[in-house]
Amino acid sequence: MAHQRVYEVFARKSRGEPLHHIGNLNAPDDELARVYAYDTYDEEKWFDMYIVDRDHFHEVFNRGDADAAAAAASGLMMGG
Amino acid sequence: MGNENAATTRDAVRDLILVLADSKRLLGMRYAGWILGAPELEAGIAAASMAQDEWGHGRLLYALLKEFGDDIAHIEHDREPGEYASMDVLDEEPADWPGLVALNVLADGALSAQFEALRESRHTPLRQRVAKLLDEERFHAAHGAAWFRRLANGGAATRDALTAAVRGVLPGVVRWFGPDSERARTLTGEGIADTAGSALRARFLAGVAPLLEEIGIAADGEANFDGFDETRRRTDPAGPDAALIAQVRGDKNRVFLLD
Repeated sequence: MAHQRVYEVFARKSRGEPLHHIGNLNAPDDELARVYAYDTYDEEKWFDMYIVDRDHFHEVFNRGDADAAAAAASGLMMGG
Repeated sequence: MGNENAATTRDAVRDLILVLADSKRLLGMRYAGWILGAPELEAGIAAASMAQDEWGHGRLLYALLKEFGDDIAHIEHDREPGEYASMDVLDEEPADWPGLVALNVLADGALSAQFEALRESRHTPLRQRVAKLLDEERFHAAHGAAWFRRLANGGAATRDALTAAVRGVLPGVVRWFGPDSERARTLTGEGIADTAGSALRARFLAGVAPLLEEIGIAADGEANFDGFDETRRRTDPAGPDAALIAQVRGDKNRVFLLD
């Protein structure tokens, strides 16, 4: 079987609402990930739903990360 | 003459609805059989979701039989296997996951092709239910196609298992659309379906041809109608396995079917 990827799933109840993270799943590719997201998470009446391959996430910062802490200390993190 | 035509059309519609309802009910059982034991957790969840859809569609279709004078409780809970009008290819439990994928693409796909032909049906109750049903079926088709490609490209053993499963199911599915008979002409002539028989079979085959090509199988339109019963759209009169039918009828816990 192909290499498994982790996909994060987002959805919202209405057009104006922000997207909520509702879970994740494992799938070998985008095509099956879409199907699995629908089958796993469409119990509620969502307005729309999206999947993102976790590898496509770009970290902006991580509060548990030493560099981010240093950046925050130097005043780069406004309003944090 | 007019009355006779009306009765012929009525019978054709009633039989078609039962064929679709019973096939959905049995297909639901086949998906349900893989809630446990699918190759990955998500595939098991997908099987559960598809089973749920099929049973929902089945129930919705059985309810349409009321206007034909059928007793729905009897239809759902009392019929013997020999009275079922489900697809022949759903009689056998798929031997392995590729077997289920073959049913997903071919049997579920054939049912959807039949529903597509009913989108503009003059039979209003049927037409009103087709769009929502087909909307849910999009995800069944996507599941089938994704798994089909995955297995077709997953190494020799996997590909061989898929090829064997497809060869096992395809002739029965191709036959299921039926001959270009009087009944097929009634369905199209009376505006119940936009196409039937060989034309509908050709439309279905054109849809699955790109997938079949991946494993080197030609989407061949030849069907053998020896022993084909047009009313039930089956060749084997015995129907599905008695134990399976007992299960779908809910025999074991019938006492708990409370009013």
